[in-house]
Amino acid sequence: MNPYAPKLTKIKKIIEETPTIRTFVLEGKPIEFEAGQFAELTVPGVGEAPFTPSSSPYAPDLEFTIMKVGRVTRALFELKEGEIIGVRGPFGKPYPLNDFKKKDVFIVGGGVGFAPLRSLFLALIENIKEYKKIYIRYGARTPKDIVYKYLIPGWQKIKNVDILLTVDVGDEEWKGRVGVVTTILDEIPVDVKTTPAIVCGPPLMMKFTTQRLVEAGFKDSNIYLSMEKNMSCGIGKCNHCRVGKFYVCKDGPVLTWKDVKDIEDPFL
Amino acid sequence: MNFLLPAHNLEKWLKRLAAWAKIFYSFTENGKAHTIRYNPDNFISPDFKNIRTAENIKHFFFPSRGVVARFPTVLDLRPEPIVIMGVKNCDLRGVDVFDRVFLHWQPVDDLYKIRRENTIIISSDCPEPMETCFCNFVGLKPYPEGIADLNITLVKSGYLIEVFSKRGEDLVHADSDLFEEVKDGFVDEREDTRRRALERLDGINKNRINDKIPGLVEKASKNKIRDARDDCVECFSCLHCCPTCYCFLLSDYKRGDDIERIRTWDACYYAAYARVGGGANPRSRIDERFWNRFQCKFNYFYQYERIFACSGCGRCFSGCSAKIDIREVLSKL
Repeated sequence: MNPYAPKLTKIKKIIEETPTIRTFVLEGKPIEFEAGQFAELTVPGVGEAPFTPSSSPYAPDLEFTIMKVGRVTRALFELKEGEIIGVRGPFGKPYPLNDFKKKDVFIVGGGVGFAPLRSLFLALIENIKEYKKIYIRYGARTPKDIVYKYLIPGWQKIKNVDILLTVDVGDEEWKGRVGVVTTILDEIPVDVKTTPAIVCGPPLMMKFTTQRLVEAGFKDSNIYLSMEKNMSCGIGKCNHCRVGKFYVCKDGPVLTWKDVKDIEDPFL
Repeated sequence: MNFLLPAHNLEKWLKRLAAWAKIFYSFTENGKAHTIRYNPDNFISPDFKNIRTAENIKHFFFPSRGVVARFPTVLDLRPEPIVIMGVKNCDLRGVDVFDRVFLHWQPVDDLYKIRRENTIIISSDCPEPMETCFCNFVGLKPYPEGIADLNITLVKSGYLIEVFSKRGEDLVHADSDLFEEVKDGFVDEREDTRRRALERLDGINKNRINDKIPGLVEKASKNKIRDARDDCVECFSCLHCCPTCYCFLLSDYKRGDDIERIRTWDACYYAAYARVGGGANPRSRIDERFWNRFQCKFNYFYQYERIFACSGCGRCFSGCSAKIDIREVLSKL
């Protein structure tokens, strides 16, 4: 099979999450994946970019929640339901869910970084009895920028799920916490010596969250970080995504703090 | 296994090979070695004595611009058989690096595989290394010991052919009437030629890099040692002419009702090389990119494969506007 050729499918549904973030639900399930793995999406005639699915690996559909930031995503936002899109993958390594069993799982997200974490979260709650408790700490710029607003109330009702949200800047209707995501990491109600912490968000958020988690006593090898890097091939050949000796597309996209802490500014 | 191809049989052999393959070989023009396609109507004598050609052998397996996928119509790539003659050991290091990345690392790149399988490599000794050559500096010899299918050494009676692969053996057997048994003394003549080439290279490059280099390069990169990179004018010639550089970029173009996915060579010195969609750039400064190249070739690739992703061919130095010499940069560490 040609590893550079995408499978073509149609966009089944587009959900507007925030003014700049949309969820694209694809028709059929062109690829199977495990939580943490990613895919390359093709906008025909424009090009490819890497995204981690936001849907459960167990779900019948494949979904991607995407923010409009660059050339490919701008073109993606021009596409309508029913239009053709290409998918290549899955690539990279999944989260080591077996290592998380019988433990708390501490998830920290920022902005659109909640997308891959949602996939992880849905995979975890599929077998929720296997884990002690799942914590989500999520920060967005404003209440309008919170993704999955329509899903979060339902998740909060799940036994052994603890979700806390914050926004950098509130508005009149916002009754929750205000402050960057690290402000809701002052209390960490888990055993930091054994708990895995999974982090995904913009570079600065990743940097300060990692600092906070290290200070709190999480083990370097238990801090899982989603690395955002320029990627072209997705199969460990083109060299673009390399950070230190790691190919983010092959060894990642999730690396641990132990892997990257000696690399200068790994989040850039 | 060795055979002798008498000098007067070379052209006959080329003619026969050309019946089923495109033949390329090295020749010399104005003192410089180049690659030329065999043309029976305008035959130019090969030169297997000169150093590696100016052209980069990776073009044959990994074109500078080529279609890697087409959709919805499926790409059906059927490359023609090619025979390349006169490839030097430095360029075989390039083939070695590419084989590891595109054939051994999963997933296999089928496009590289099909081109590689359709290409027969006939290497040749490098009896007269030049000042720009430093294969010995990176642990190589000025003559091949494998990777190619056959190897040619010039001896007084013609071309001493050494068989490296089954494919090479089949090639000799297919035209066995052109080859002769090897007589006593031919192999000794080859050993003498090789000894002289090694002595010449030892005179050019006294230093060798070893397994300490990965750590030294990493340290230099972290400490942001300036020196040589201040001269870099960012022409990127060093990377595009390098036989071991395998970076590439995929981009899509409409062609009729199809989309073609094109792979073009890329170079890690380009400012936008590592920039992400949101604008962040982990290597926005040239000094970061300069050391990244050295880390890639002399640290990371060594960690993956225990060989340096450098062939010592000297093309980077020859092509560099600022004459930055890898040997100098590494020797100063």
